[in-house]
Amino acid sequence: MHHYWFGDVENAVCHPAGGEPAALDERLDHLTIGMRQFIPLNWEDAITCGIVRNRQEYLTVLRQLCMQRAERMMRASLQEKDQEIIQMVRLLSELDTTTNSLLERVTDWYSLTDLGITKGRGFRHEKELIARLKKHPDPGLRACIESIETLLTVRTTISRQIAVQAEALFPNCSALVGGLVVARLVSRAGGLRELARMPGATIQVLGAEAALFSHLRGGTPPPKHGIIFQHKRVHSAAKRVRGRVARVLASQLAIAARLDAGRGEVVPAFLEKAQTKINRAGEDRALD
Amino acid sequence: MLWIDGVLVSPGKGGVYGERMLGEFRIWDPRRSKCAALARHDPTIDFLPDQRVLYLGAAHGTTVSHIADYVEVVYAVEIAAHPMRNLLRVCQERPNIIPIMADARNPSSYAPLVEAVDILYQDVATPSQVDIALDHRVFLKDEGILILMLKTPCMDSRRSPEDLCSEAISLLQPTYRILNTVWLEPYHRDHAAIVAQAVPSPFP
Repeated sequence: MHHYWFGDVENAVCHPAGGEPAALDERLDHLTIGMRQFIPLNWEDAITCGIVRNRQEYLTVLRQLCMQRAERMMRASLQEKDQEIIQMVRLLSELDTTTNSLLERVTDWYSLTDLGITKGRGFRHEKELIARLKKHPDPGLRACIESIETLLTVRTTISRQIAVQAEALFPNCSALVGGLVVARLVSRAGGLRELARMPGATIQVLGAEAALFSHLRGGTPPPKHGIIFQHKRVHSAAKRVRGRVARVLASQLAIAARLDAGRGEVVPAFLEKAQTKINRAGEDRALD
Repeated sequence: MLWIDGVLVSPGKGGVYGERMLGEFRIWDPRRSKCAALARHDPTIDFLPDQRVLYLGAAHGTTVSHIADYVEVVYAVEIAAHPMRNLLRVCQERPNIIPIMADARNPSSYAPLVEAVDILYQDVATPSQVDIALDHRVFLKDEGILILMLKTPCMDSRRSPEDLCSEAISLLQPTYRILNTVWLEPYHRDHAAIVAQAVPSPFP
């Protein structure tokens, strides 16, 4: 017996699947096809089946079914909640890049109007620089810096929003490294399900692809951490244990991602054990 | 294939993705489409009005739309939701494209929809590209043509493109007879196009 979209064919006899397009669509989800004995359909069987009368009609009906099906699957996939977070994370990093390069341009301009300062020196903080520039006599320069300041406020809003949403969607991962870092990891992986399928070793170097591939091609040392470096547990760990912290943290994140994808709620028993392991890795003891 | 003064074109309604027109014809840019780049390197590549094509890795439907201008029907398989959105828009204008949202690594999920085809066109970014080409032999008519756009960087970044390509060829060989292998330079880096013919199955 061979299963096709229009019906089942056995010894040149066709049993039509019948029903409306929606029913045909649903039937496809439940068919199990073994590819070893598979024979591609012969469209003329759809005539025998009484589903269509000719080739043109065959293609029309099949196309309608496939378009509906693809549309439905596409919608379902875009409505997955993590998809919105992914877009927000991309927006956030774009905001970072943009504000940085805008600020640099404006500083270049400003440094010509005030020869007393050297570029990049003399300001302890971005905010200090912005405050100074806002009082600048040039109206053009002032307009630029005000816009940049607005973008920086937007950046803060978005990043808070990402953190809050990520904490709700990925509770176990967020408990380990905080919502924002998790959101970045999910975004890099392409989704929570994708992250959950990754081994810890991959999660450890997500975001360090350039270093990883240059290592694989030869010569350079392997990266110890990618995005997870952004969490304070990793970047504030003593340098000699930082690789170990990154590795242990990543392996616990791999489990946390699976819990988030599967259960979607906090699992205290796991978190307690995971935190202990990660803390232990951070102790500056002899590397064993 | 239609060439006008050395420019590859396809006959169809324009405005699919902002492609330029040459009179009534849509310009098929080798820098945008690996298939057009292949046609530049290999003049034997052709698409004919009565042909059926299975296209794996349809993406936004750019190349699909050009192939659809030539052939009877294209079964276009794409896994990602964002490109599928654009592909569906392309389908609205072209009644001979059948969109399928599925993973080419798992042909059983769309096997009940696809008939035997004359051309299998594969352009997917996964390490298992060669396995996919072998698994889809079943959808190809005997002596049908496989056009495999081999993306060597996503197979193994440690090995050289040439090495990966010759390994791919040796793996394909019992199932396919290799007709031609071209590198798509200067249009696409580290991409080889392998054109092969399905060897008739010994079991009828």
